[in-house]
Amino acid sequence: MCSVGDENFETEEEKCMPAGGKITLANTKCNKCRENDPIVVLRSKDAYCEACFLAGATHKFKALLGKHKLIRPNDKVLIHHQIGHPSTALLHFLRCGLDLTTHKKLRFDVIFVYVEDNSQFTVDYRKEVLKKIENEIKLFKFVIKFVSFNDYIVNNNKLGDIVDNPDNLTLNEDDKININNIFVSKLNKTNKNDILHIKKRNLLIEIAKNLNCKFILTPEISSDIASQLLGEISLGRGSHVPIDTGFCDDRNQDVKILRPLRLFDMKELAFYNKLNSLDPISIKQTEINPYSSVQDLMKKFVNDLQVNYPATVTTIMKTGDKLAINDNGKQKCQLCMGPILNSNEELSSAESTSFSHWVSTQKPDNSKEKSRQEKYDSILKHYKVSENNNYCYSCKKIEGSIKS
Amino acid sequence: MPLCSANCGSNAILKRPKTGDALCKECFFEAFENEVHFTITKARLFEPGKTVAIAASGGKDSTVLAYVLKLLNEKFKYNLKLVLLSIDEGITGYRDDSLDTVKKNRDDYEMPLKIMSYKDLYGWTMDEIVAEIGRKNNCTFCGVFRRQALDRGANLLKVDYLATGHNADDIAETVLMNILRGDLARLNRCTSIITDSGDGIPRVKPLKYTYEKEIVMYAYFRKLIYFSTECVFAPNAYRGHARVLLKDLEKIDPSVIMNIIQSGESLKVNETANMPTLTKCSRCNYVSSQTVCKACVLLEGLNKGLPRLGIGKSSKVKRILEENEKKNCDSTSCCRTNNCKKDIEGVEKCTDKLSSVNLIK
Ligand SMILES: [Zn+2]
Ligand SMILES: [Zn+2]
Ligand SMILES: [Zn+2]
Ligand SMILES: [Zn+2]
Repeated sequence: MCSVGDENFETEEEKCMPAGGKITLANTKCNKCRENDPIVVLRSKDAYCEACFLAGATHKFKALLGKHKLIRPNDKVLIHHQIGHPSTALLHFLRCGLDLTTHKKLRFDVIFVYVEDNSQFTVDYRKEVLKKIENEIKLFKFVIKFVSFNDYIVNNNKLGDIVDNPDNLTLNEDDKININNIFVSKLNKTNKNDILHIKKRNLLIEIAKNLNCKFILTPEISSDIASQLLGEISLGRGSHVPIDTGFCDDRNQDVKILRPLRLFDMKELAFYNKLNSLDPISIKQTEINPYSSVQDLMKKFVNDLQVNYPATVTTIMKTGDKLAINDNGKQKCQLCMGPILNSNEELSSAESTSFSHWVSTQKPDNSKEKSRQEKYDSILKHYKVSENNNYCYSCKKIEGSIKS
Repeated sequence: MPLCSANCGSNAILKRPKTGDALCKECFFEAFENEVHFTITKARLFEPGKTVAIAASGGKDSTVLAYVLKLLNEKFKYNLKLVLLSIDEGITGYRDDSLDTVKKNRDDYEMPLKIMSYKDLYGWTMDEIVAEIGRKNNCTFCGVFRRQALDRGANLLKVDYLATGHNADDIAETVLMNILRGDLARLNRCTSIITDSGDGIPRVKPLKYTYEKEIVMYAYFRKLIYFSTECVFAPNAYRGHARVLLKDLEKIDPSVIMNIIQSGESLKVNETANMPTLTKCSRCNYVSSQTVCKACVLLEGLNKGLPRLGIGKSSKVKRILEENEKKNCDSTSCCRTNNCKKDIEGVEKCTDKLSSVNLIK
């Protein structure tokens, strides 16, 4: 039934998604100091001069870390390094914060890790990329370790070598085929992305434990968070939204994952890098069909919003921030480690789907003597909700497809 | 040709988007009906002996809802009194055909039919309102009047339940829309199968877990007569985006619809979101969040020759609104009386055509 008009909008303008404004830099002053000429417009509305922009970015980074007061002095923190503007900006934020001599100095120890997962490329190219990463980190005088994602998957989720020199990483031309052979061939691309995402997170936690780090910093920015959130909702992980997209993922007792860049957008960090004369290393982009998986579609959807309706990206994040982890059950999922919900009396979508599958596979009873009620009762009598409590709703579906 | 998943020996004629199973016609009927019965009993939607008004638009959802409720009521002895409730907005050419369809439902299913017209309820037809206000803002009127009309009708009929044809696709779309809007309160309750609009008449959704595509297939194979058009009222921008997104998601993996409902059912809102407390409208006594309900404010404007009253909040807001409309909301801001127009971003609205359905040739 059509639901148009069910929303109870108070006014007509509430129905419109706010479009990005078209501020021009001419004839305006910096939003912050109200003195200098602005050089950048953020979120299509706020204009800043160079000094205020840089101060604002640094403040935003520290404020989010400081607000949660999770990291204590001398804690060891693992930084999940990736390729692109966010990670390069993170390098700079950290270097500056650690080098300060004022009370604002960051007081924890950092160690970087790069998880090699470029099996779509040739070994030569992959080695080239690793060298570039090593050089970028050296520039900031940080220490970086390298780990092969393929090894972890192929060796049945066992953490392999953590190496200092990227030359010591074993790379094979058929890494991609090996990964596919293990479990991925039976899954559609959506579930494959999902399980690889989970495995990568599990691997990072293993690495952190091995290196005695209590925290991991990851470089997701606002559009990553928004598309992740919509993706989680679409995979049935609504109850996990706070740990999957919030500032702190504390599903593991020993290691917490923090997302310090989640309030930044790409333009902001690209500009930050530009003003600091930082040029992130580049890597070949593989063409991705946005309609090939839920995650790819959500990336496209959020990127389009970012261009046309940037305020809506912020709204999606704020929606997520107002959700609480639903952990009425004590048990944790064996795959994603998120809490498994206790099924209560109420009919749920999961149960409806499992009943639908059940009635679709029951041999019809064509006896004339039995009433419809009697036939239904006998179908229901043999119907049992599968009490597999090792996995959450979404992981149960993935496990089901792998086993089938 | 694949065999029916139920092992009946027949060839399958369709693949179920909900589960991926292939079914023959007879097994599909039985599965479809058993599932709605499962939903009704498991969620305890109705008490025996009560009266249920079925919101009937003549469209596929309400036609299938009326047919299935009648069938289940007889086969499973719900002991319910079923009546059809229709709204006539008074849009020339729009309701004429669909109301004929509802009248056909009334005769075929032997259920009493009550048609409430905007003229009866508000003193104005939509045509008259459009003539007064122009096409630009009449969505506000349709939305507010339409919603109240069903509730008022249910009240006048003194029924115990109002059953609507909202299907799984509608619920999933609403979850996505509420995330885009940041409406925590509605996000929290939009997946409820029973909602209370404050007047003691529960609104229930027996087709909550039923895919729109399966509703179309059911109507098609049962040869049910329904008025084949989508709502002519354009969705707001958020719903429009949510709708396009959901259609794209469904093409990638149809089980996403049930996933989104599962997410909606299992998420928990952190802080108590601000839900307006309900009182009664001082004019019409209807349940409202304001002392004078939105419908009465709009009516006041119409009757006093100030039809824009209650649409914008201030002149500034109005100006912004008009600019916005010019810029981005062109296609979503006015009601259209033509059927089957392209929705925003080029998505076909007519999803009830069989071309989009998983028939096995
Ligand atoms: Zn300034
Ligand atoms: Zn899980
Ligand atoms: Zn069959
Ligand atoms: Zn009123």
